[in-house]
Amino acid sequence: MSLASQEQVQHAFLNGVSYPIEQGESILTFSRRSNTEHVVPTLCDDSRLEPYGSCRVCCVDVALVAEGSRKVMASCHTPINHGMHIFTHSARIEKLRKNIIELVLSDLPPHTLPVQQSTSNTEFEQVVLATGVSEVRFTQGRQSVATVPLTFNQKGEASLCDESHPYMRMDLSLCIDCNRCVRACDEIQGEQVLSVAGRGFDTRIIKGQDVSFNDSDCVSCGACAQTCPTGAISDVFRQQLTKVQRSDQLSKDQYSKDQYLEEQRSTIQTPIEKIRTICSYCGVGCNLEVSVQNNKILSIEAPKEAAVNSGHTCLKGRYAWRFYDHKDRLDSPLVKIDGKLTKVSWDYAFEYVAKRLTSIKSKHGSDAIAGISSARCTNEENFLMQKMMRVVIGTNNIDCCARVCHSPTAYGMQKSFGTGAATNSIDDIKQTEFILLIGANPTAAHPVTGAKIKQKVMKGTPLIVIDPIKTELARFANWHIQLRPGTNVAVLNMMAYFIISEGLIDQTFINERTEEYQSYCQAIMALNIDNLANIAGVDKNLVKQAAVAYAKANNAMSFHGLGVTEHSQGSRAIMCIADLVLLTGNIGRQGVGMNPLRGQNNVQGAADMGCQPHQGAGYFSVEDTDSITYYQQHYQITKNSLVNLSQWPTTVGYKIPEMFNAALSGDLKALWILGEDVVQTDPNQHHVVASLANLDLLIVQEIFLSETAKMADVVLPGTTFLEKNGTFTNGERRVQKVNAAVKPRTGCKTDGDIIVEMMNALGFPQAPYDAESMLEEISQVVPFFSGITWKNLGENGLQWPVEKNGVDTKILHINTFKRGLGKFHFYEFEESREILENKSEFPFILTTSRNLEHYNAGTMTRRTSNESLVSEDVLLVNPQDASSKGIINKSKVRLYSARGEITLTAQISDKVKKGVLFTTFHFPELMINRVTGDVTDKHTKCPEYKVVAVAIEKT
Amino acid sequence: MSKNLSQLARRQGIDNTLFQQLVFSDSVNSGLVNVDIDNSADVVKQQRKVLAKKFLMGEAVVHGAASFYDFIDDGTNEHNANKKAYVCNGSSCLCANTQATVKEVLVAQFGSQNVGHVTCLGRCAENGAFQINGNNYSGSDITKVKQITDQSSTASNESFQVQTTLAEPILTAKITDVAKYYQLFDELSKQFVTKNELEHLLDKLVESGLRGRGGAGFPTGVKWRSCLEELGFNEQSEKYIVCNADEGDAGAFSDRYLLEHRPHAVLFGMLMAGLLTGAKTGVLYIRAEYPEAIKQTKQAISEFDQLILNKTILSDFRFKIIKGAGAYICGEETALLRSIEGQRPVVSVRPPFPTQSGLFGCPTVVNNVETFGSIHFIFSELNSEQNSGVSKYKALGNGKSTGSKLVSLDGAFVHPGIIEVAMGTRLTTIIELAGGFVKGIKALHIGGPLGGVVPLCEIEKLTIDFESFSDNGFLLGHASIIGIPQSMKMIDYIAHLFEFTALESCGKCYPCQIGSVRGQEMFEQAITGKQSINPELLSDLLETMQLGSLCALGGGVPLPINNILTYFENEVAPYFLSKKSTATGEQ
Repeated sequence: MSLASQEQVQHAFLNGVSYPIEQGESILTFSRRSNTEHVVPTLCDDSRLEPYGSCRVCCVDVALVAEGSRKVMASCHTPINHGMHIFTHSARIEKLRKNIIELVLSDLPPHTLPVQQSTSNTEFEQVVLATGVSEVRFTQGRQSVATVPLTFNQKGEASLCDESHPYMRMDLSLCIDCNRCVRACDEIQGEQVLSVAGRGFDTRIIKGQDVSFNDSDCVSCGACAQTCPTGAISDVFRQQLTKVQRSDQLSKDQYSKDQYLEEQRSTIQTPIEKIRTICSYCGVGCNLEVSVQNNKILSIEAPKEAAVNSGHTCLKGRYAWRFYDHKDRLDSPLVKIDGKLTKVSWDYAFEYVAKRLTSIKSKHGSDAIAGISSARCTNEENFLMQKMMRVVIGTNNIDCCARVCHSPTAYGMQKSFGTGAATNSIDDIKQTEFILLIGANPTAAHPVTGAKIKQKVMKGTPLIVIDPIKTELARFANWHIQLRPGTNVAVLNMMAYFIISEGLIDQTFINERTEEYQSYCQAIMALNIDNLANIAGVDKNLVKQAAVAYAKANNAMSFHGLGVTEHSQGSRAIMCIADLVLLTGNIGRQGVGMNPLRGQNNVQGAADMGCQPHQGAGYFSVEDTDSITYYQQHYQITKNSLVNLSQWPTTVGYKIPEMFNAALSGDLKALWILGEDVVQTDPNQHHVVASLANLDLLIVQEIFLSETAKMADVVLPGTTFLEKNGTFTNGERRVQKVNAAVKPRTGCKTDGDIIVEMMNALGFPQAPYDAESMLEEISQVVPFFSGITWKNLGENGLQWPVEKNGVDTKILHINTFKRGLGKFHFYEFEESREILENKSEFPFILTTSRNLEHYNAGTMTRRTSNESLVSEDVLLVNPQDASSKGIINKSKVRLYSARGEITLTAQISDKVKKGVLFTTFHFPELMINRVTGDVTDKHTKCPEYKVVAVAIEKT
Repeated sequence: MSKNLSQLARRQGIDNTLFQQLVFSDSVNSGLVNVDIDNSADVVKQQRKVLAKKFLMGEAVVHGAASFYDFIDDGTNEHNANKKAYVCNGSSCLCANTQATVKEVLVAQFGSQNVGHVTCLGRCAENGAFQINGNNYSGSDITKVKQITDQSSTASNESFQVQTTLAEPILTAKITDVAKYYQLFDELSKQFVTKNELEHLLDKLVESGLRGRGGAGFPTGVKWRSCLEELGFNEQSEKYIVCNADEGDAGAFSDRYLLEHRPHAVLFGMLMAGLLTGAKTGVLYIRAEYPEAIKQTKQAISEFDQLILNKTILSDFRFKIIKGAGAYICGEETALLRSIEGQRPVVSVRPPFPTQSGLFGCPTVVNNVETFGSIHFIFSELNSEQNSGVSKYKALGNGKSTGSKLVSLDGAFVHPGIIEVAMGTRLTTIIELAGGFVKGIKALHIGGPLGGVVPLCEIEKLTIDFESFSDNGFLLGHASIIGIPQSMKMIDYIAHLFEFTALESCGKCYPCQIGSVRGQEMFEQAITGKQSINPELLSDLLETMQLGSLCALGGGVPLPINNILTYFENEVAPYFLSKKSTATGEQ
């Protein structure tokens, strides 16, 4: 075929009109894309799912030539071909559709035949109306719902509707067997909790082995409820929304139009508004669509066209939002008066804080004050927080929770590549041919990304999991390297050794784009592999097989989490991963790269905005003269300004653990904490509490009276993400718009407003908080934000760096690294001090992580029905350890370390190896951080949460 | 279908399929005598939980797949599985009117709760078919149920005629020397090695005119070629040859005949398909209702393996038998593939076709037993100008339908059994050879439940080939012939066809899932006098099923029903609202 004819536009005819076709698309996609007037109705189709072809409502007439014989074909699974003639609404097709819908209605309750068009119609009802079915001619016959067994709700009452679960609902009397729920559970979430039982007419949807939702392994992602066209599978919030919509519709029908408008005016029937925003639960950055009426949230769904999550999200984003109007919300500033936190006015609070800070500053200097910003807050708020500390207070004592999670990632990747952020986009998972997952449990901690990885792996993409825990994805891994916690560097060096010794390095890439290879290679080849295998407790042949497979893959993508960073060798392990990436040239194109799974929703943004003691907004060094000048100019600080040049901070400030030490030693007098519960979440709780108690002034900006807030001198009630505007930056550098769904709770202010008013109270003229203008200010300071405006972010945001012309960046380091050449770093494995010092007395290693249902300190999730899904932190104990210690399943055990002890419930599980224990840290009742230690990463001071020497005994 | 489940099944391979574990763990359960019902259901649940974990699938997947089949028990006693005896309720036995007696005897022997039902044991030549302890019986066997039960005489007295009109039989030819039979493969595999050479062989196959004998009549050579092309000609690529031996069409037993009496012909065809497509594994999906076929095929495979061991032939091809579990729809090729994978055997959409993405998502050839059975003949004497199998094969028939066809004749014929005829043979010739009918016949149901109902007046017109049948508004299908006796009421026969479809519908597409039940109800209501049939509504229903169904089950059953409505209009008319009254809306 000549090039010219290849380029000829392929086309087909839709109801007689010619339209271009796209390679591989179905007739349905072609028709929908080409003409929006002749809509082909469907019931079983969901564009995110594989074509299924069960409802047959999408049938069309197909002819190969204009007047040729026509054949009825289902458009959803028949590919369009060049020259085809498609007739979407011929007489026999319309009749066929009508007859099929009539059959469907013959197996549904009579009331499901909709009377008229309405905005509250379900998808099914819309199709019924579109096809024009107005009666069912069959005499009442068998109803398939008759074979559905009853289930018991939480009160023990038997019902056809499954109401056993805190969120999920199922009413099979409305089910039309389209199987979209089953397919969503399989093809989107990858859980396969739903399937179908029986065959023929009596097929029905089941959960697990025909158990209730509550007894099933359902992870409550809600994908089934969102795709169900009839409401047969639903959830408590969606049901509530439907109820409101229906009553709204009813009132419209009952009254005359004038009366209705009158009512509208009197705001009794406020229309339901849909507001798009970004979830604040993790670094995935799912887009959410919030349904709001009268300043009340009714329900949350995931927009189908969202680039990040395409209509999917997890139970936290979709269902765990009721904390926003929980009765425990703080609703007034509190100041400690006579040792008791007492409600005060905002004016009083600002004045009080300003007075105390000014006095501390004049007595002890700016560096006696420190701030901890929040990765839960917007970029704009983080920018303001660091600006206040640096420009108004005059100190670099500003840090954020990245310190305790991904600071080693930022540090290590900067050292290796020049940029401390994910090199690729999550969407690249579609293109990759190999996945390396280290120290991360994304199906629990980053559920939507986890689901994408799982989908890919189930379909055959090879996966290496390096993790001490047998995580959900480890079950599916081709190689699960179940190492001893704390030995990442040993295993990663073993992999490098095998890649080099098997001659599988990408020599061209190494020659052209890297430096320091020779010395690195020498050091690696000198390693004693048997010794390392012994240290890590792994089979060296397994590591070899995995390394060889990884190196041989064309496009391998790596992901890592806190299982890499929260170690004494955290930063070094990051550079070891980067070494593997450089050895194999897996960087700078689609489907490869090194991708940290960022923990909190805006932890990337908090660091980007300069909430770090050593780098300001945009990552310029705080000690470098040029960058100091840059910042001074951009913040418009002059000799004569209110805050003058002479008090500009020029030295690196305290990292969070250093803040605690300084507080204990008396060097730090005041600490302002924005939205973080350090008492519950930072390691070695006794130490943290003692430090905070030693401060002169502790200011906590929070939504609930957290364990930290309880110790504060001043508590300032902030707001949730549902009440504020701004931007979050997700783990793939995507800056997305956060839009307020409801007004701030009475008595509360947005965190941005609080900081701005505080700056003003301290004498700095900062303009009132407004997301758009703040973003403009940021784009002038942070170079990689230069092309970002509130407007051009659009619905799906932009991935930084964004050029002035608005072009964003999906993949970093394409032709050159940010630092020029990629740099190899060799680090030898070093045993943690925690183990060396405590091993003999505390022979077990405890490692901690999150579960799916709860988020960090549980501040939010524990104030939702997620609490009833998982209501305690349990300790996983290997069966062998359990039997040698006489521990039985679900019994209480005492867990103790050199720092402290707790008592918790044991669960015997083969997810942990002998000698390793695992638990989560969501429940303040437990306070797992009483036992965690104070060893930190050498380079970044990130705490070693993942390795704690402990002992256990049955109680 | 689920790509995820196909690929998860692929990880475990053909020797460790979830489906076979369900089928065989079920027979393990049946050994659990004296276990109370609740407890045995719990045992099943626990087993399925373990299986789900092992296969990395959801428990719902395992439960959902198991619940599809007639013969996989869920541990409760309500299921049709693990009965002591089964009564055949296929169309042929129904027409022979033998089953009331059979059921009576079995119920008396075992009690009604211990007698299940099965749709067609392939004993249509003798009728009176039933199963005890996994062995099939028919004809006069019912008189010795006691001896069968106490194991003193368990052999069936089955006998049927096998005849042919061909001077040189193809499918019914005896295979006397197995080693010699496979020499042909040895010669061909040494002679044809490169892709070009294999394509030459495929050209020969196309030239023979062989078309799939499962009913659809797709050119076999074309199918094999597309499988060869898929993934390129690569030694490493994973491909499968699947023999569809799920002969579920009531009235048909020619596949059973081949597997029981000519298994090497089938294995040879699969072996050649492997050579010509690059596949290394042959899977025979044999229905559970054919225990003897499974036994004989197993025996033949071990003989083949012995030839490999003895180095009589050189091949790394291997066979695997998958035993079905009672579901008619598994005869549909995509449902069959899903069944092997342990998914619910519901029909998949096409494309992709099995040759592109079949078993475990790999390129797969699926052919009927009889199709494979013709391969040895076609490839014999390949280099002979005049006497080659190809030229002899294509010389038979009408040019479009070539070669020979096995025809199954049921108990309505004087000499029931299997007859091999050249394509194009007159139907009347076959009836004559079979000695005519034993009783008054008013129509022939040819080609299984989805084949046409041919009234006696149309018999003259028909010859055994795809074209003659479709041109006259019928279907050759599998060429099984059931005689519908004068005594059979056609209204009952339609109700029977709807009932069969409703029982066997996979439940995926609405026209078949709901339409078959509504159709069954319309006829039942008419028969019991509750409600006459609205002809317009019935016509809409049949059109909806025919045009709208996903596969040939829902799409095919309107054909025999329409045949009956056309040719036996007077007989069924009393059950219908008169045209006039429907027009005015009266009842």
